[in-house]
Amino acid sequence: MVTSIVLSGTAMGCIYALIAVTYNVMFSASRVFSFTAGTLGMIGGVLGSLFILRMGMPIALGFLLALAGGALLGIVTEIVAVRPVLKSLDQHLYVLSTLALALMVQQFTAIEWSTEPAPFPRLFDIPRAEFDQQFWLPMLACAFVIVSLELLYRYTLIGHAFLAIAEDNYAARALGLPERRLRMTSFAIAGAIGALAGFAGGEMLLAFFANAPMLTFYGFVPVALGGMGNNRGAVVAGLLLGLFQQSANFLVGGIFASVAVFTVFIIVLLARPNGLVGSALQRRV
Amino acid sequence: MDTEAAQRVSELRAARAETPARASAISLALPYLALLAVAILFPLFGGGYWGVIATRACVYWVLVSGLNLVVGFAGQIAIGWVALLTLGAYTTSVFAAGNVMAPLPPYLALAIAAVVGAIFGLIVGLPALRLRTFYFAITTLGFATIVTQVALAWQSVTGGGVGVPGPVFPDPFASQWGFYYFCLALAAICTWMTANVAASRFGRALTAIRDAEVAAEASGIAKPRLLGTVFLFAGATAAIAGGLFASLQSYITPDAFTLDLSVLFFIAILIGGRSSILGPLLGTILLTVLPEFAAPLVAWSTFLYAVLLLVIVLAMPGGIAELLDFKNRRPLQSNRAIVPRPDLVARLLDAQGDTGTLTLDQVALSFGGVHAIDGLDLKIQPGRVHGLIGPNGSGKTTTLNVISGYYAPQRGAVMLGGKALPALAREARAHMRIARTFQTPRIVGSASVLENVMIGGTIDGRGTFVESLLSLPRHWRDEAKLRDTAMLALSAVGLERLAPVRADRLQHAELRFIEIARALMLRPRFLLLDEPAAGLSGEEIARLATLLLAIARAGTGVLLVEHHPDLIFDICHEVTVLNLGKTLAAGTPAEIRSHREVVNAYLGG
Amino acid sequence: MPLSRRQLLSSGAAAIASTIAKPAIAAKEPILVGYLPALTGPSSSTGVGINRGTLLAVQEINASGGIDGRQIELITRDTQSDPTKAVNGAAELTRGQKVSVVFGPLNSGESLAVVPLLARTNTPQVHPCWVDSLTDPKKYPMCFRNAPTNQQIGGAANRYVVDVLKQKKVAVISDTTGYGTASVNAYAPMLKAKGAEVVYTGNVDAANPDLKPELLRMQSAGAEAIMPWSVNAGFLSRIINTRGQMGWDVPIVGQTTLGSGQTQALLEKPEYWAKVYPNNFRPVCYTPDGKLTDRTAAFLDRLKSAKIEMGDTLLWWIALGYDSPRMIAEAMKAVGTEPDKVVGYLNNLKQFAGVYGDMSFTPDRHDGYPDEQVVMVEANSLNNGAFKLAPGYSA
Repeated sequence: MVTSIVLSGTAMGCIYALIAVTYNVMFSASRVFSFTAGTLGMIGGVLGSLFILRMGMPIALGFLLALAGGALLGIVTEIVAVRPVLKSLDQHLYVLSTLALALMVQQFTAIEWSTEPAPFPRLFDIPRAEFDQQFWLPMLACAFVIVSLELLYRYTLIGHAFLAIAEDNYAARALGLPERRLRMTSFAIAGAIGALAGFAGGEMLLAFFANAPMLTFYGFVPVALGGMGNNRGAVVAGLLLGLFQQSANFLVGGIFASVAVFTVFIIVLLARPNGLVGSALQRRV
Repeated sequence: MDTEAAQRVSELRAARAETPARASAISLALPYLALLAVAILFPLFGGGYWGVIATRACVYWVLVSGLNLVVGFAGQIAIGWVALLTLGAYTTSVFAAGNVMAPLPPYLALAIAAVVGAIFGLIVGLPALRLRTFYFAITTLGFATIVTQVALAWQSVTGGGVGVPGPVFPDPFASQWGFYYFCLALAAICTWMTANVAASRFGRALTAIRDAEVAAEASGIAKPRLLGTVFLFAGATAAIAGGLFASLQSYITPDAFTLDLSVLFFIAILIGGRSSILGPLLGTILLTVLPEFAAPLVAWSTFLYAVLLLVIVLAMPGGIAELLDFKNRRPLQSNRAIVPRPDLVARLLDAQGDTGTLTLDQVALSFGGVHAIDGLDLKIQPGRVHGLIGPNGSGKTTTLNVISGYYAPQRGAVMLGGKALPALAREARAHMRIARTFQTPRIVGSASVLENVMIGGTIDGRGTFVESLLSLPRHWRDEAKLRDTAMLALSAVGLERLAPVRADRLQHAELRFIEIARALMLRPRFLLLDEPAAGLSGEEIARLATLLLAIARAGTGVLLVEHHPDLIFDICHEVTVLNLGKTLAAGTPAEIRSHREVVNAYLGG
Repeated sequence: MPLSRRQLLSSGAAAIASTIAKPAIAAKEPILVGYLPALTGPSSSTGVGINRGTLLAVQEINASGGIDGRQIELITRDTQSDPTKAVNGAAELTRGQKVSVVFGPLNSGESLAVVPLLARTNTPQVHPCWVDSLTDPKKYPMCFRNAPTNQQIGGAANRYVVDVLKQKKVAVISDTTGYGTASVNAYAPMLKAKGAEVVYTGNVDAANPDLKPELLRMQSAGAEAIMPWSVNAGFLSRIINTRGQMGWDVPIVGQTTLGSGQTQALLEKPEYWAKVYPNNFRPVCYTPDGKLTDRTAAFLDRLKSAKIEMGDTLLWWIALGYDSPRMIAEAMKAVGTEPDKVVGYLNNLKQFAGVYGDMSFTPDRHDGYPDEQVVMVEANSLNNGAFKLAPGYSA
């Protein structure tokens, strides 16, 4: 029992952490939280199952196409739901536009793909083990993404540019950084990360349209607890969340587990609205 | 009384007569009355099945009318409000069916559900006071899931997956049309009540919280109490809608309460337009009826709602209400001039009484390593204009923010008449008659100019929320008084002709004067102005000067933070010059003008 | 001899009369039959299977002239496995379309809501749902069930586990639908009454992709048999797969959908389907010497010639779908379409010869399926839509 909890908890935690990173990357580029993060995770799984199982493509190709699909959805989010509302006076329209887009994608998937969880292919044809690929694939994906992002932000010019537009939008533009293109690229990267989460976790989550609202919520918890835009905090919080949730799942059972997670999350958030790490409120006047 | 003033007052009365409260009330009520007439006559031409749809629309509207105050007016993104519908449906059904105790009459069960709904509405809504928008939206989704899961798990009471039969209301509401009229009556009552709130100081305060939160605070509007009240109300209406829903469905299971329903309610409000009653009403009817026109549409209904939402957000954020806002389509007169009436200022600010001085004593405040204010002494006396100037970053606006309670000083104290002002108590400033304006005008764009000014007088109202809800006499007295005072304030600043115009159609300079009118509603002892002349033409600055002098003459102490040296030197009695958070110089305008350091650091020439 | 004028006239008159009469018959109003299947959604396996039989039967009836020359018009409203949509559909069928009779809903969860509603609108209803409370000759005098009850089904399954397989420690689980919940609530006490020990019960969200926690808990509670009750093929397949992955050798005995082609398609390995015993019905199963009854064999031929797919569903569902409109048509042929007459006919129906079973009703018993025809079968003996009886199963 304990091994199962640790393994599936860590794996689910990595998936949640990846969705949290998706939120964070989008947030860094635009100061906006997008409801489409969870939907991207769902799309990764659905596209993977579609390309590999239903259409019979080789796994590597299906994988790349699934990531491409995620990146595409990320770009669409930026163009359709984020860019038009960034300049509006009403700061909260982005919540509505991204919500609308996320709902559209979810409903379309439900109707055209299936309302039921569909199987996801087994990626490596090796026999099942205790530490099975369904567990280490999400962990590998999470580690890869975190390390890559760190390297990107720290050592590459484009990474510095991303940080610049996140830090001070006006100054970056004044310096001549192509803000719009950078933002689109950020969203594309975020899209690919989200799709990767769904693909790597496909065997655990299956290809199911209702993964979208589930990941939207559970992927946001690490963001809220770890601090907005803080990827390291997101990973830690994500792992904690995964372990807590799976402990409840295995020990008590499904219904009480989700009630427990929601309740703890809401209480913690009320106690520390800026997350466990905390950050100062911006000047409002 | 001055003949000119008398003439002005009679002009005002005439202006008010042009849009008399009663006539405008009838023209406002016309669309609702038309809808009601159609609804009452509906059984004559609508068949049995459309009766079910119509009843459903009424039930949904009962919920949406309350949620409208939360989402449409207060701007809180409560997406998961279906939790309250579920709660109300189960509470009513369980008590009517007798699963916990002896079966109760359905009306009593419905009443209990309303109380339970109110309490839980408050619980679900309260995080809004602590959390950012997106965070709050996510927590409401969490609540929606929790309630459904509890309904599934608590089998002994709710029947779990099996479900529970809905309540059956006794005759005359047992038949299909009887029940329809019952729901219609409740929907009509909810429309009336929420329309009353919309036209009250509470409705305006909600909109202020949404669109100009700092201005709302400065006007003394207490966000927690007001939001708490609307959450109670919205929870109660949602729960009642739940009971009606359970009766309509005749049987409920946890999977009847899907996220799709929640989305429907939410989108109906946004399609209808915020700060509107009619818009969301039409939106609810539209969204309930739309999927019924074609069977395939039913499966795609949530997709359609989402598309509609996206279109509205991108193309027409004002929604249906904006489409129906005919009076704001009329072109405005160009070349408008703002002509303040200083004589009316005296009428507005009468009877000040002895108020004491506003003093800053060695106030210091740092942000990290930056000393924003470094040991500042300031003394603002009633009836005099005190100028505060200095280069950018010298701490002028920070000083103003400390006085109005946005920051707490780390050293020193702010005192009024010798007593220290409580730090960080922003809303309390309004009660102490300290008013302010802002560097960027904080105006509710979607409200009319008059409504914006009336927001300033919110704390003068005596009637409670319930009195407004039920349109009781004290509500009308408050409204009349507020309206008159606001018109007087608008006339004093010279904008009375623009009273019914939507504020976001106005020019920048006009917005600045509206802020002053709003501040004057508090009959302030002290008025703090943050760069009011920014963006004004020379002519307008001159008029501003006369206005400010009139305000000071009426006994108000004015603190004027400004960059325009002409304005400062023309009207100020004292000037303090700040540099890097410290006082560089203080004295009369003449002294400052020739002060060498000031000239070097700031004035130049 | 040339035709006399009278003969000519009379034959002419007859010819004219027949041409006048034919349009009148052809212009006869169709009989509206409301139909509430779940064709999509988590519980659509029943609907999809039954639908094939229903459409075939209606087509056949109409092709042979309908009922007294009136065609049957089947008005379908997909409930999407959602009780709310089922209620809306039922309201539309009765109030909007004004149907004469309703067939369905096909899932208990949806029927729990619809049965009282149809009773209020005085519409005769035939449904194949199993939950016991869904018929009540006093409360719902116009509602008939042409399928077994949960008591009959559970009785057969419990008998198999306790008496034949001789397992005393049982885990009973279901999904969170009305059907699943009601079944667990009914079966746990029935098992206890038989002297078995119910070591574990649970209602699991059918969409849950990971059932390992559930099975691990069952295992630590000491379960010797798993009895799942759900029509959700995905859910059932995941139970079977997880048992296989864990290498846990216990029998799975339960809901008929365990044996459907849909479930089979979702299995990770074909060998996982061993030791799975769903319930089914004797008329559509192979006898011990491997034969089908004549009626069933003929039906299979009928399906093959109509090119109706069987491999992804269950034969008895298709058979049920086929039998139901024919039973309704027989009633209407005999007494017309008046609701009271139809109900009166059904109340006295004796041994309606259905493919999957013979139906009989009385005014006091609206559950038409005979007890002894409910049997347990072996899932992986699936062949041409039919199964072999489970091992150790005495006739």
